[in-house]
Amino acid sequence: MATLTLTDVTKRFGRTVVAVNNFSLEVEDGEFLVLLGPSGCGKTTTMRMIAGLEEVTEGTIYIGDRNVTDLAPRNRNVSMVFQNYAIWPHMSVFDNIAYALKLKKMSKQDIEKSVNEAARLTKIGELLERYPSQLSGGQQQRVAVARAIAVKPQIFLLDEPLSNLDAKLRVSTRTELKAIHAQTGATSVFVTHDQSEAMSMADRIVVMKDGEIIQIGSPDDVYHESNSLFVADFIGTPPTNFFDVDVKNVNGAYHLINPHFDIALDEKNSAFIKNHGKKALIVGIRPENIAIVDKQKATLSAEVHVSEPQGSHQVVAMRMDDNIYKIVSPSNPRIVAGDIIHLLFPQSALRFYDPESGLRV
Amino acid sequence: MTKKRNFKPIKTTVFYIFLTGIISVILVPVFFVVSLSFLSTREAYRFPLPLLPALEMKFSLTFGERGYLLSVYDRVDEEYQTVLDTKELDKMAVYMKSQLNTPVTIPELEEQIARLESEDPVYFSLKTNLLANYATFFKVAGTGEAIPALIRSLQVALMTIIISVSIGGMAGYAFARYAFPGRNMLKFSVLFVRMFPGVAIALPMVIILARIGFYDNPIGLALVYSVGSIALTVWITASIFMGIPVSLEEAALVFGANKFQAFIKMTLPLALPGLAAAAMYSFLGAWNETVAALILTQFNPTFAVIVYQTVLGAVGQVNLAAAGGMAMALPAIIFTFFIRRYIRQMWGGMTV
Repeated sequence: MATLTLTDVTKRFGRTVVAVNNFSLEVEDGEFLVLLGPSGCGKTTTMRMIAGLEEVTEGTIYIGDRNVTDLAPRNRNVSMVFQNYAIWPHMSVFDNIAYALKLKKMSKQDIEKSVNEAARLTKIGELLERYPSQLSGGQQQRVAVARAIAVKPQIFLLDEPLSNLDAKLRVSTRTELKAIHAQTGATSVFVTHDQSEAMSMADRIVVMKDGEIIQIGSPDDVYHESNSLFVADFIGTPPTNFFDVDVKNVNGAYHLINPHFDIALDEKNSAFIKNHGKKALIVGIRPENIAIVDKQKATLSAEVHVSEPQGSHQVVAMRMDDNIYKIVSPSNPRIVAGDIIHLLFPQSALRFYDPESGLRV
Repeated sequence: MTKKRNFKPIKTTVFYIFLTGIISVILVPVFFVVSLSFLSTREAYRFPLPLLPALEMKFSLTFGERGYLLSVYDRVDEEYQTVLDTKELDKMAVYMKSQLNTPVTIPELEEQIARLESEDPVYFSLKTNLLANYATFFKVAGTGEAIPALIRSLQVALMTIIISVSIGGMAGYAFARYAFPGRNMLKFSVLFVRMFPGVAIALPMVIILARIGFYDNPIGLALVYSVGSIALTVWITASIFMGIPVSLEEAALVFGANKFQAFIKMTLPLALPGLAAAAMYSFLGAWNETVAALILTQFNPTFAVIVYQTVLGAVGQVNLAAAGGMAMALPAIIFTFFIRRYIRQMWGGMTV
């Protein structure tokens, strides 16, 4: 087990394409870190640089106190689960798991012990004699994980390992991966574009966009205290609702004014806004924080456009000025399209963003 | 209500008509060459041609004007036909061996002649030697050069495989795995060499090979064949390597292998079927090639050249030419069958 430290890591392809820009990060010993971002944001490139499959253009990578920046992949003591699993089709499951151990010149008994241990953790004990073509996608994925944990690496890399599984299997495998992480305690870096996967598995999430880190934080941090419009929009299903508002000072009280509503801010928010002195803002509010209330208390009223029952809750969409806004409310009472509902934005749930920079104020 | 028409019987019929056509176009000539290569010289020039060689010849022997009159039973006309009138028994034996493929000894003939005392004519039959044409071919063709030429041809073909599969395979790997400027242009340009007919560039080739000392030498021929063959092996192996995910090698790198081990242990076994196909094409190309070999060799011809010369000079010896052709086809067929099981893995056995 070890820490992983990336300092000012930059990756350029050719002269112009910057895939990863000034990436600095410290991963603690035993931490489960998730790199999250839309496709093309550089998260996989970052992982491949950690593995040694891509050269680092600038910057350094340390595993523990070893500088591995220019080491070949085999000398880094990392292991990896590939997106397409990359298990070797001409080798049996046993040989797939044992290959790395054989290269380490381990004794036959030790290899067998390690393979069986890894197979037990991933529950593929009865598949060891089979060949990959005889396995289902889920089983192949387990083999890839078993192969990666058998070598007892310092850093455990997972490159979108769940994206080729069907939805149900994906959710159950998540739980198992987390359990395996708890048992092995290996420092893990997990790449995904699926925010719910990131939320459910991570100790810390690194949100990336265009090769840069946008926010680092615990799942709760990035969800409730998103530092930018991008994160607030990218994390969460349905995403944060955004409203353009003008800030007006009416008789000493600050108001957020929009064609649909006029929110008089409480003291705490007023003081906050006053300090920043912005004229126009974007207000963000999470769908589940919007409450359905009586007409008198409501911030605004709207007609329901679509309602999606989800069993435990329902997602209600409203349409205002060609924008769709969504709220999450309990299943009862059922709301149907065409209903007029009255909504309250609690002051504590409001988040303010600068329309120019897109950052939280 | 409209009735759905069933086109299936029509489709099936048309399919089998085509199939029959294709089979007759391909198989009938092959059958005739095979059959011809076993026929005796006399039978080979009968019309209509016997479909299968006779396993046994029936003879009749009687007194003739100049000695003994030898007749042989003709399967086409269904009668005994006189072929020889002589009293020299060795001449008779030579005729029976060379024209009828029925080897016979003088004492055996004398024994039959002795029977003439009691019965006239004497009837007897002899077994034909089915492989007589092949034996004659290897003894006679190219004035005894056939066996050395066969060995040379094998050398040329094997060297062509080694050169073109190794160089073509490496180039194919580069084309499949690395992006570099001019990649597509280069990949197409390897096909350009196949646009020139061998004859058209034969003269410069002779000069070049003579200068580097490989004229009339199997190595020189292998080099010339490899040029054309590499064009094919590059394309075959490139598409095979493209079909093998890079991540298999990357996984090997992460799990402790160096680049060479990763290639040898992961990519190469999976590419084997494609390499086998490439090897097969190289072999067939080198084995069957005649024109360049005719020009680029003088005293050390390849087997294809020997067969070619036999066919050209085969007036009255068409069955020998057929035997030569078969002798040439056989190694190619054996090689193809041997390599077939590797190629079959591409579709069966393993999935990448």
